[in-house]
Amino acid sequence: MTQYLRDIKDAVVSAFKGMGITSKHLAKKPVTLQYPDERWVLPERFKGFIINDTHRCDACLRCAKVCPVDCIYIETTGKAKDRYMYRYAIDYNKCIWCGLCVAECPTDACQHSLDYDHALYDRTRLVYEFTSPAKPIPCHKETRLEQGYYVPNADEERAKLAAKKEAELKKAEDETAAPDPSPDEGKVE
Amino acid sequence: MESITGLLTKIFGDGMSPMALLISGGLTMALIMSLVMAMCAIVFTWMERKVAGFLQSRYGPMRVGGFHGVLQPVADMLKILGKEDIIPDEADKALFMLSPFVIFIGSLMAWAAIPFAPGFIASNLDLGLFYIFAVSSAAPAGILMAGWASNNKWALYGAARGAAQMVSYEIPLALAAIPVVMATGSLNMNAIVDAQGGGVLNWYIVHDPFLFLAFCLYFIASIAEVNRGPFDMPETESELVAGYHTEYTGMRFAFFFLAEYANLFLVSCIATAVFLGGWHPIAGPVFLPGLVFLIKAVILVFLQMLVRWTLPRLRVDQLMHTCWKVMVPLTLLCVLGSGIWMMVSGELL
Repeated sequence: MTQYLRDIKDAVVSAFKGMGITSKHLAKKPVTLQYPDERWVLPERFKGFIINDTHRCDACLRCAKVCPVDCIYIETTGKAKDRYMYRYAIDYNKCIWCGLCVAECPTDACQHSLDYDHALYDRTRLVYEFTSPAKPIPCHKETRLEQGYYVPNADEERAKLAAKKEAELKKAEDETAAPDPSPDEGKVE
Repeated sequence: MESITGLLTKIFGDGMSPMALLISGGLTMALIMSLVMAMCAIVFTWMERKVAGFLQSRYGPMRVGGFHGVLQPVADMLKILGKEDIIPDEADKALFMLSPFVIFIGSLMAWAAIPFAPGFIASNLDLGLFYIFAVSSAAPAGILMAGWASNNKWALYGAARGAAQMVSYEIPLALAAIPVVMATGSLNMNAIVDAQGGGVLNWYIVHDPFLFLAFCLYFIASIAEVNRGPFDMPETESELVAGYHTEYTGMRFAFFFLAEYANLFLVSCIATAVFLGGWHPIAGPVFLPGLVFLIKAVILVFLQMLVRWTLPRLRVDQLMHTCWKVMVPLTLLCVLGSGIWMMVSGELL
């Protein structure tokens, strides 16, 4: 009988204890975020979708080579100064966000963006193109400098280029001034 | 009913014969009560989801209809209307189609004797309270029919459990209301509410300690009677898929759902009328009686939701133990105790 009464008392007390806890939560502000309207503040090194800054990219192909799942497609045409990149695409169906391309990129063209919500209805649309064939990106240092694209240590490179041009110009001047300064030289071969 | 027939005579003049007046008044009232039931389902599904959400530190529906997802029930209803109506091949078709309506009508009939406001009662029966408990016991029949006709083992388990539970808990439910009947000396719902007029101290919940206990027992038994957590044995999602309505889809399922939420409100309305003074406010004269009644009933509904989202489900044996070994003796004690109380305090003499 005492056990019976104690059971009833325990049941009532524990029920009220539980209701007290849930009632407390009723007054608290919910912890959920209204996702599309409110968002988390992303950490600085958030590994979001990888983007390629085509202004900085010179198609060195290191990212495509280091990619473990081969999701980066780079297509170029021409050689040396005429080498142009007409396609840089990342297939996010394959991408595993390992970040190796970002670590490898010498010009910091490959970067993690802060984007992450790219759910789509069609998986073919997850292949993102960063360039258009109509506007190919120059790859050679000199053509890049001429067309105003990013080159590491641009000032030095520009100075070098200017020096080289000057030298060429001087050479040409010398050639015009003395049409045949040393005819023997050409016959060395 | 009086107010409705009065309104009808005002609209159509005195030309109506008493019979026509009775039938049209009854139909009007039935329509109003069906609408009340539908509104219950609409309002309380939204409320249930919001309460459940906030109890768990989340929001619940937020997207449909601007402010806090107020149009979510409408979206749910449209979804349910668009569902395919599936009747299993092996089901007993006639019973399968009939059972949602049996449950629905059992619930609708009980509304006839609920006094929402002075004069606003579908049928002012002398045996009002008795009538309510009598017709609401049609629900186990509907549940058994649904479970049997589905020809599904989960549905049958759920139905058997549900019927056993509802039949058992009807006893403490009715016994808990008996002290009030003793105090009033009537089963008429209007008389019960009228006897509680004039401030909170005249409500039966504070009449004597035994009546307070009776109210608590009524509240617990009513949760079990409407098959909600922690007594949701007939449904037990984790064990029986969905219990007796496992095989139901679309509008047939909606009828079960409608009846569940209507019953939830019904037992709260009975508790309001019987224990909490019906349309009488806490103090002062009767003011907006319908609104006062609704507020009290909705507070009770909220309490039932709080209980549902707090307490874990009981095992079947615990459920039966609670009913037969705890609640029935305690309600009998209430009947005896309040009888002695009334004799000692001189009310009976």
